[in-house]
Amino acid sequence: AHTVLYITGLQFVLKLTPHTPAASPSVPGQEDIQAAMPVEELDPSHYPATRAAKVAEHFINTRYGSPFAWFGSSGVKKAGLEVRAKLHFTLKEMTRNQDMGLCSAEVLFHRADERKPPQVQCTCSGAFQVNTSAEEEDLYQRLRNATSLLSGSDIPNSVGHIDPEMAPFWHLGGVASSFIMLRESNESTLLNMAHIDNFTQMETKDAQLMFQYDILLHDMVSQEILKWKLLLSWSPDGGVKVLEAEWDPKCRSCERAHLTVTTGIAAEQEMKGDNNNV
Amino acid sequence: MQYFVVFLTLFLAVHSQRVFTGDQVLRINAESEEHIQILQTLQKEQEMELDFWIHPVSVDLPVDIHVPSVHLQKVKIFLQEHNIPFSVMINNLQVLLEDEQAEMEKNRIKERSSKSLNFGAYHDLYTIYNWMDSLVTEYPNLVSKEHIGLTYENHAMYVLKFSTGGSSRPAIWIDAGIHAREWVSSATAVWTANKIATDYGHDSSLTSLLNKMDIYLMIVTNPDGYVYTHTSDRMWRKTRSVNPGSMCRGVDPNRNWDAGFGGPGASSNPCSDSYHGPYAHSEVEVKNVVNFIQSHGQFKSFISIHAYSQLLMYPYGYTCTNVPDQAELDSVGRSAVNALSSLYGTQYKVGNICRIIYQASGGSIDWSYDIGIKYSFAFELRDTGRYGFLLPASQIIPTASETWLALKHIMEHVRDNAY
Repeated sequence: AHTVLYITGLQFVLKLTPHTPAASPSVPGQEDIQAAMPVEELDPSHYPATRAAKVAEHFINTRYGSPFAWFGSSGVKKAGLEVRAKLHFTLKEMTRNQDMGLCSAEVLFHRADERKPPQVQCTCSGAFQVNTSAEEEDLYQRLRNATSLLSGSDIPNSVGHIDPEMAPFWHLGGVASSFIMLRESNESTLLNMAHIDNFTQMETKDAQLMFQYDILLHDMVSQEILKWKLLLSWSPDGGVKVLEAEWDPKCRSCERAHLTVTTGIAAEQEMKGDNNNV
Repeated sequence: MQYFVVFLTLFLAVHSQRVFTGDQVLRINAESEEHIQILQTLQKEQEMELDFWIHPVSVDLPVDIHVPSVHLQKVKIFLQEHNIPFSVMINNLQVLLEDEQAEMEKNRIKERSSKSLNFGAYHDLYTIYNWMDSLVTEYPNLVSKEHIGLTYENHAMYVLKFSTGGSSRPAIWIDAGIHAREWVSSATAVWTANKIATDYGHDSSLTSLLNKMDIYLMIVTNPDGYVYTHTSDRMWRKTRSVNPGSMCRGVDPNRNWDAGFGGPGASSNPCSDSYHGPYAHSEVEVKNVVNFIQSHGQFKSFISIHAYSQLLMYPYGYTCTNVPDQAELDSVGRSAVNALSSLYGTQYKVGNICRIIYQASGGSIDWSYDIGIKYSFAFELRDTGRYGFLLPASQIIPTASETWLALKHIMEHVRDNAY
């Protein structure tokens, strides 16, 4: 089953391994913490911790998000950073306000080459066990058996309203956006999905449902609104996948407006628009 | 006189079928005891349905009689035959009553409008401006509205002044809606204006504060942008000034202040949402506030309200160096946030702008701090990204209510720490 996870209380435990890249991270136990080398302790309320947490959130959504489970983020407890950030956080499934237990994640920013998306590894003690299979199957069947293709627009609307029937598609858009936001993140971004301009269900021949989404992302650091077109697929078995993604710049002649003067954002952002599977 | 009309109106309200078209009220000046006696006989005359508003008692007092139109002729002839002088005081009672009703209805509507603006909804500029007027009308001894200048597109910029008198009292400045898309900021300010007006005289802390200090509240600091988010682009942030040589309009009004202007965290590209503008205070909206604050000269606190991220911040943004008053501002900020969280458990972070959110030059609270306004703070209200700028209207009142606790705490500290 797929869910959307909401990072609430974050407990960073710094564990630095500058020379040997971490193998597969486990949920750190006491011995790991004691063996940690001294590192730069980060203030949990300062932006490096906040941004790393946001990346972890996007990662989790790409792995575990669905139309019925969508993750947000909040509350960093403790943080440390060198090349990678290691975080401990409590997780919550937002749409049900359900506690998911304790998770640990490692977020690695590639400072040397910011075109490389951050690398994230994450495990949770309780696994991402939100039982959404009934709702997912129900939605899937309804859409497959419908006589017309579904579409929607302006989600949420100007006053923050979402029709209940549109909510799963809001979550779906958020989860799909996380694929893009994960890829686009670096130490100088803090990305959220701001708005779904519209979405349209597309014809498919196989078991996956397919949707075209026009989405607005918001980067808190540059304050820019970024227009993305996504082609995504979903099924209860296949999960959420982004098939195509294209950035639509504000205006052709002012593409470079997308750049910010804060450190780190590189010019490659205006060259995004590839069609790779994320 | 009015008393009788009101009585009649109440009477009307109860016996609503009766209409008084053509009825008159005659004023009689009795000149002798004989006149009084004749009038007293008239009083007993039931056929003519005379309604004595002032009874015949003595020659020293007038006698007022409401005469139904159908009997008017008869009564006037009677009075003339007895040489009793009279004048027509009310020519057509129904018209007077209807005018009165209309006036009362207008007042009721006026009253209704300031009390019953839906604080749990977002409103357009026109509605907010009208409501500000009704608030001033309802609390004339506390609230006034000052015009501090025009915007680029010639919208008026208004600030509400809460004052119990005095002259040149130390003052607190609060601005909201400088970034157009942050709707919950202005919505919170509307609720807050109403809260201050209604709590004065009832909340002892607020009352003592207003007895010493003035509060200035600017609900929509970027009217051009705010209108644009209603008419064209909900995600607009900046002003709407034209940038010469560019097809992109607008300057980020919170990168345009003279505090590290043009430094890191602001863009030199007019198309950017964080474009700092051609020079500091290039934006008339910013200049108007700067001029106002400087000529007032007595501001002790400057608080700017934004959304979203759930943060309470103090200077600096343009540099990550601590301000001299870092410890005190941090302490005030933390207690303010504790107060805020006490209501619904909403979590806020506290710190200086540069460390909490990003390095950003040309910000308003950096400017205010650097001109000597020590208690400079910036709020980023709900939420943390799920709805972002599109915060559901159902969260306006909870947001405003919890934020009020933080604002109050800061203001109380300002009140108790004069400098």
